[in-house]
Amino acid sequence: MTPLPEWLRPGFAPGAVKPRGRRGSLRPLRRGLATLEAVLGTLVSAGPDDRRDGFLRNADPRAKLLAGVALIVVATLLHGVAALGASLALALALAAAGRVRAVRIAAALGASLALTTLVMAPATLDVVTPGTPVLTLARPGGGSLGPFRLPATVAVTGAGLAVAARMILRTSACVTLALVLAATSRPQELLAGLRALGVPQAFVMVLTMTERYLAVLLRAAQELHLARLARTIGGIGFRREEAWAAAGIGAVFRRTRTLADNVTLAMIARGFTGEVRLLRPPRWRRREWLLVAAAALAAAALLAADRGLA
Amino acid sequence: MSGSAGAAVFTVADASFAYPAHAPCLDGVSFAVGRGERLALVGANGSGKSTLLHLLDGLYFPSSGSVSYLGRPLTEAALEAAPFGPRFRADVGFLFQNSDAQLFCPTVEDELAFGPLQMGWRQDDVERRIADTLALLEIGRLRARAPASLSAGEQKRVALASLLVLAPSVLLLDEPTGGLDPRSQSLLLEILDGLHGRGITLIAATHDLTLLPHIADRVLVLSEEHRLVADGTPGNVLADTSLLLAVNLIHAHAHRHGQLVHTHPHQHVVAHEHAHGDPAGHGHGDPRGGGEPEP
Amino acid sequence: MDGGAVVHIPDGYLGPQTYLPAWGVMAPAWAWAAARLKRTLRRRQLPLMALAAAFTFVVMMFNVPLPGGTSGHAVGSVLVAVLLGPWAAVVAVSLALGVQALLFGDGGITALAANCLTMAVIMPFAGWWTYRLLAGRAGSVPRRRALAAGVGGYVGVNAAALATGLLLGIQPLAAHDALGRALYCPFGLAVAVPAMVIPHLLAIGFVEAAVTGLGLGYLMRTDPEISIAATPGPGDRPLRRLAAAVAVLLLLAPLGLIAAARLGAGTAWGEWSAGELEVIAGRLPAGFDRLASLWRAPLPDYGLPGTENSPTASQAIWYGVSAALGVAVIVAAVLALRRLAAGKGSGDAAP
Repeated sequence: MTPLPEWLRPGFAPGAVKPRGRRGSLRPLRRGLATLEAVLGTLVSAGPDDRRDGFLRNADPRAKLLAGVALIVVATLLHGVAALGASLALALALAAAGRVRAVRIAAALGASLALTTLVMAPATLDVVTPGTPVLTLARPGGGSLGPFRLPATVAVTGAGLAVAARMILRTSACVTLALVLAATSRPQELLAGLRALGVPQAFVMVLTMTERYLAVLLRAAQELHLARLARTIGGIGFRREEAWAAAGIGAVFRRTRTLADNVTLAMIARGFTGEVRLLRPPRWRRREWLLVAAAALAAAALLAADRGLA
Repeated sequence: MSGSAGAAVFTVADASFAYPAHAPCLDGVSFAVGRGERLALVGANGSGKSTLLHLLDGLYFPSSGSVSYLGRPLTEAALEAAPFGPRFRADVGFLFQNSDAQLFCPTVEDELAFGPLQMGWRQDDVERRIADTLALLEIGRLRARAPASLSAGEQKRVALASLLVLAPSVLLLDEPTGGLDPRSQSLLLEILDGLHGRGITLIAATHDLTLLPHIADRVLVLSEEHRLVADGTPGNVLADTSLLLAVNLIHAHAHRHGQLVHTHPHQHVVAHEHAHGDPAGHGHGDPRGGGEPEP
Repeated sequence: MDGGAVVHIPDGYLGPQTYLPAWGVMAPAWAWAAARLKRTLRRRQLPLMALAAAFTFVVMMFNVPLPGGTSGHAVGSVLVAVLLGPWAAVVAVSLALGVQALLFGDGGITALAANCLTMAVIMPFAGWWTYRLLAGRAGSVPRRRALAAGVGGYVGVNAAALATGLLLGIQPLAAHDALGRALYCPFGLAVAVPAMVIPHLLAIGFVEAAVTGLGLGYLMRTDPEISIAATPGPGDRPLRRLAAAVAVLLLLAPLGLIAAARLGAGTAWGEWSAGELEVIAGRLPAGFDRLASLWRAPLPDYGLPGTENSPTASQAIWYGVSAALGVAVIVAAVLALRRLAAGKGSGDAAP
C-alpha cells in the first residue's frame, strides 16, 4: 500500500493560517437551508398536527377544496369592510374547527399581515388615496422638485384607511382559508382532490408526482447545503457563492434528468402506455355534501350582505 | 446452455447493446432462462448487469442479436401490440434498484393500483387485489402513507407489492438488497424465497457475492468487457477465485506478517483470519502465488 | 427583503376583473403547451414534467447573497426554458407555482393564473428568445451560451416584474367603490411599475442572471453530453419572434387597460370629485399632461374623459410610456450585447 503522505498522518500540524480579510457570512446559506427543511418537513411530516382529529380532517379533500376555493373567491369579491371582517372571522372559525395549530395560524397570518401592512402603509396617505385628512403628517407646502410637483400636505386620509383595512382583511381571510385547506389535508390527498374541480387526470398525476419528487430533490439540495456548511466556516464571497449555488442547481438538475428517465422506465415496466388511469375516488358521504352546501350558503350570504350594504 | 425446467422463459441470443454515442455495455451475450429458475447476474460496477435486466424487461432493445420471451422476440412493436404487450408487462415484474424511481405515486395504495389500472382491470377487482397483496406482505398499515415517508426497507416491500399485485410469473431484481439494513435484507430474502417456492422465476442482478447462495441456483458472470464469462452454480462460481479476480469482483489483498507479505484474493464481505502458521488460510487459488519475502 | 418572492402576487391584491381573464388566457396556454410536449416527448413527458417542476421549486430554495447584506433567490423559469425548452418551462413552472400555492400558501389561489402568466409564460419566453438571439448558431462556444443564458435570465425576470407591476398597477382603474376608493391593490401604474421593476433591474435580476448563466455553464462544462434543449440550431428567427411578441404586447396593453376600466365593478370616472382629481394629477410630472392629448387621438371611440387630468388618461400615459421605455431599453441592451457577443464569440472560438 502506498504510504500516507506526511500531512495526512495524525498529529501533523498545518502551517500558520493566514487570516482572510472580509469574510461573508453563512447567513444566506443557513436561511436557504432552513426554508428548504421547513418545506421538506411539511411534505413528509407525520407529526402531531397531522394526527389530530376533527370534522375538517375527516372530510374528503375534494369537498374541502370546493368549499375552500368558493370561500376564497367570495373573499376576493367582497367590498365592504364589514363583510370582509365576517369572512375573516369565518376563516378563523374554520381554522379552529379544523384544529389547525395556533402557531401555524400565527406564522402564516403574521407573514401576510406584515407584508400587506407594509405595502398598504403608503396607501393610507393622501398622495395615493385622496380624501378627508384624518392625520396630517407633513406640510411640504406645494412647490416643485425638479419635474415633480410636491403636494401641499401629506396626511393620512379616511379613505386611505378604508382602502388599507379592506386589503388587510381580505388578504388575511384568503391566507387563513388556504392554510385551513393545507393544514387539514395531507398534501397528496389535496392534489388528488383537484379532480373534483375539473382538473384532468393527467395533470393531477403530474402534480402529485411533482409533490412526490419534490421531497427527493429537496433532500438532494439539503445534502448539498449540509456538505457546504461542513466544509466552510464563513461566506466565500459573492462570486463564489453564486458559483456554488449554480453548481448546486446544476447537480440537482442532473439528478432530475436521471430520475425522470428511471421513473419513465418504471412506469413503462408496469404497463404505462401514455394514458393516465387513477383509482376511482370514494363516493361522497353526507358529510361532504353538508360541507359544500354550508360553504356555498355562507358564500352567498356574505356576498348578499355585502352587496346589500354597499 | 440451461433450460432445465421445461421451455425457456427468456432466450437471449448474441445480444449486444450500446447507449447512443457511448461505448457498448453488452457484447454478444447468449443464454436461456428456464421456468422457475433462480438466476443471478453478477459483475463489477459497469459490467452491464442492469442493462441486461433492462433488455430482458423490454425497456431497451438490443442493438444486435435478440431477446425473446416465451419464444416471442421482444421488440418495440411487439410490446405495443395489444394482447402480448400488456400480458408481458403483467407477467414480468421489474424491481428497480432505486425505490424512489419505482414508487412514483402519491400513496402506497395508488402505487399498488397503478399497474392493474393500466391493464384495464375492473375497479373492484383492482381494489381486492390491493387488499390481498397488502395483507400478503404485511404492509396494510402503510396503505395511506406517502412513499417518501417510508423507510428503505418499507419502500422495497411496497415496490415488490406493486409488482406482485399484477400476479407476475417472472421477477427481475436490480440489486434487491442494496441499501437495506440486515433485518430488512433477511426479510426481503425470506419473501423472495417464498415467491420462488410458488414457482416464480427470479432473475437478480447483484455484486453482493454473499447474497448468491440465498437468491440463486445458477449464476451468470459478466466481465468488465461486457461479455458473459461464466455460467454455473453459486458454489462453482464462488470457488473459482481466478475468475472472480479477473472480473474484478474480488481484489487481491496484501498483508504484512513480519517479514512476509502475502497477497491473497479477498472477498470484501468475508472476514479473514490473520492466524500465522495456518497454511490453509492464505494464498489459496492466488494466481500470483503465495507469499514473497520482502526485498 | 427576500428577493424573488416579490413577483408572487398573493390572493386579494388582484380583482376578479384581472384574475379571471388571466385564467382565461392560461387555460388554452396550458392545453397548447401540453399538446406540444405530448408531440415531442411522448411517454416521457409525465415524469420529466413532474421532475422539472420539482426542480424549479428547488431552484427557488438556493439563497444567493446580494450586495448590501440581503439575499435573494432565482425563479428559475429561464433556466428551465434553456435546459428543457420554453414549452416545458410553461408546464413545469406552472406546476411548481400550483404546488406552492396549494400546499404552502405561497402566492394566491385566485391569483395563480396571473402568477403563471408572468412567471411561467412571459418570463421563460422573454428569456428564451433573448438567449436564442445571443447564443449564436450551433457550435458556438459554451461561454457565449452561458453568457446568453445569463442575459436571458436577467431579461426574463425583469419582463416578469414589469408584467406583475402592470397587473397590480391597473387595479385601481379596474375596480373602485362609489367614492372612487380602490377595492384591490390601490397603487396606480406610476407606483406599482417602478416598485416592481426597479429592484429587479438593480438587484434581483442579477441573481437570476447568475443562476441561469452559471447553472447552464456548469452543466455544459461538467457534462458535455447532457441533452439541453437550447442547443442553438438553424431554422427559427428569434429576433423576429421577439419583435412580434413585443409588438403584440404593446398593442394589447392599452386595450387591456381600457377593457379593465370598462369592466370595472365600481362607478364611472365622472363620479370622482374634482378635488380628488386634482390631487391625483398633482403627483404626475407636469409634462405628461400635454402628452395625454396625443394619447387620446388613436382611441376616440372609447370616450376617455375630456380633461387632461383624468386618471385614466394619465395612467394610460404612464402605462404606455413605461412599457415602451422598458421595451426600448431591453431591446437596445440585447442588440448591443448581441453585437458584443458576436465579436467576442469569434475570438473565443479558437481555444
